[in-house]
Amino acid sequence: METVWDLFRRRGYSRREFLSFVSVTASLLALPANLLMSFGRALELREKPVVIWLEFQDCAGCSESFIRSTSVMPSDVLLDFISLEYHETLMVPSGIYAEQAKEDAIKKYRGRYILIVEGALTPAEDGVYCTVGGKANHHLLREAIDGAKWIVAVGSCACWGGIPAAYPNPTGAVPISDLVEGKTVVHLPGCPPIGDVLVATLVHLIAFERLPELDSMGRPKVFYGQTIHDRCYRRSFYSAGKFASGLDDDGARKGYCLYKVGCKGPITRNACATIRWNGGLSFPIQSGHPCFGCSEPNFWDRGFIYKPLSAMPDGFGPKGMLGALAVGTLVGAGVAYMNKKQAKKGGK
Amino acid sequence: MTDILLYDLIRGHLLKLSVYAFFIGIAYRFFRVLFLGLPPDYAPPKGKPILKAIEKVLLKPSQAWRFFLEVFAHRGIQYVGGFLFHLGFLGLTFFVPQHAFLWGDILGFEPPYLPQVVADILAYSALGSLFALTVHRIFNPVLRLLTGKDEYLANFLIGLVLFSGLLATRWAGGAYYLWMLNVHMLSACVLILYIPFSRLSHFVYYFMSVFFYGRNVGKRGVSF
Ligand code: SF4
Ligand code: SF4
Repeated sequence: METVWDLFRRRGYSRREFLSFVSVTASLLALPANLLMSFGRALELREKPVVIWLEFQDCAGCSESFIRSTSVMPSDVLLDFISLEYHETLMVPSGIYAEQAKEDAIKKYRGRYILIVEGALTPAEDGVYCTVGGKANHHLLREAIDGAKWIVAVGSCACWGGIPAAYPNPTGAVPISDLVEGKTVVHLPGCPPIGDVLVATLVHLIAFERLPELDSMGRPKVFYGQTIHDRCYRRSFYSAGKFASGLDDDGARKGYCLYKVGCKGPITRNACATIRWNGGLSFPIQSGHPCFGCSEPNFWDRGFIYKPLSAMPDGFGPKGMLGALAVGTLVGAGVAYMNKKQAKKGGK
Repeated sequence: MTDILLYDLIRGHLLKLSVYAFFIGIAYRFFRVLFLGLPPDYAPPKGKPILKAIEKVLLKPSQAWRFFLEVFAHRGIQYVGGFLFHLGFLGLTFFVPQHAFLWGDILGFEPPYLPQVVADILAYSALGSLFALTVHRIFNPVLRLLTGKDEYLANFLIGLVLFSGLLATRWAGGAYYLWMLNVHMLSACVLILYIPFSRLSHFVYYFMSVFFYGRNVGKRGVSF
């Protein structure tokens, strides 16, 4: 049995570096100071997690994001951090050996492994749109659900259907929670989600052996409890009524709020504005692009990426207004005419 | 249904539907009344009806000071409350940035917009005066007789729109923001739909009624 601390040691990292990982992760999880010691102790003693990672209809971006989540862990530790028993993109075996490894892991670690699912399910037409090793995705998921201790849906496809579910959704893509009964699915949405969020959630699961506090949609509150807008550094410009009108106009260069060019930050719950991306370097709004709400359900069909949130998605325009006024005028004139006619009749 | 899906439904289909219904409704009300016209008045005019009508249309909206001098002593709450309420409500409707962008979408040009702090002041004053006006309505014996369900419903809807808008922008963070926004937009959609069917459509007739009032005054040869 190897613990997280053993892992750091084996990789040649000092205790100081391990403790720095403990404190960074504790701060990401917003743990109170009095829990810090027991949190560190748990990571010293508890076995590193066993993970079976299933990948269905997706782009593998969530896996990419995960292996770049180096703000909390050095990358060589990260790849060893989870005993990745099965991950199609990252594992060495392939073909029947890979499938065999997964089946063995499901048996061997029954009741102990963390099942991470990336990508949407496509149960339509018996799953013909997404098969692995000749098996349809919903069969693969069913096989793995029972023995899982925790289930984590990573990315907006697994959580909400995502891009594969975009209209007209030809493959009938649905979230994985549609198939899971009697177990809580931890949702870590995003397209992709921030890798550090996944690492910190896994650390929480192994250190405390319980789920983090979740919101009504199954997302850890600590990462998804606030909107991008709540923590955006451009918020003062929003409040001052200073908005960029284009992606490279004077306002944009001055760092004004991006609401008018389509920022969906006010309705998007995610941790980009606090944890940021690429080791805390930046996030889309900081790089000058509006948030398009990738962690919320239905973002793929919401459209109007570059229109203000308060405008109508497919527009209204003066034509719409004049059309409606013309209809009202015609009806008003018609009714007045009939009223007059009736009044005349009554008068006679 | 999740908060965000409800939000999509409201801002997508419901908002569009209510704005269409609003424009159809107000054009219907305006032109129906206009085409119905007034019964013929055969009395010879004593003054200059059309000139007086134009004078009233041009001057009445800017004669608040005169109104103030004449009736403030008797109708303080209505005057001050009414003024603050209309200023706040119209200011918020057109000049809050989020609303200005929506108007830009509808009208094809964008009204200028205000910083949040001004919007906050307008919202507090509109809400406060709406409350005062409603209480006044309830306790004033004459007004109470003139007030029907229509007024109370309208005041409630407007109060809800103002209050939820203020809560959303000022006080709600995280998960609550979307719910507040949903309440705000849903109540605004209901209000927009309700306006053409209620006495709230009085603004449609404002200039028309001032014109007719001026014409009558001109006909009778009096000053007001
Ligand atoms: S850029 Fe977006 S998230 Fe930031 S303050 Fe403006 S609207 Fe809010
Ligand atoms: S800023 Fe918005 S669109 Fe960009 S990654 Fe974060 S949640 Fe997704």
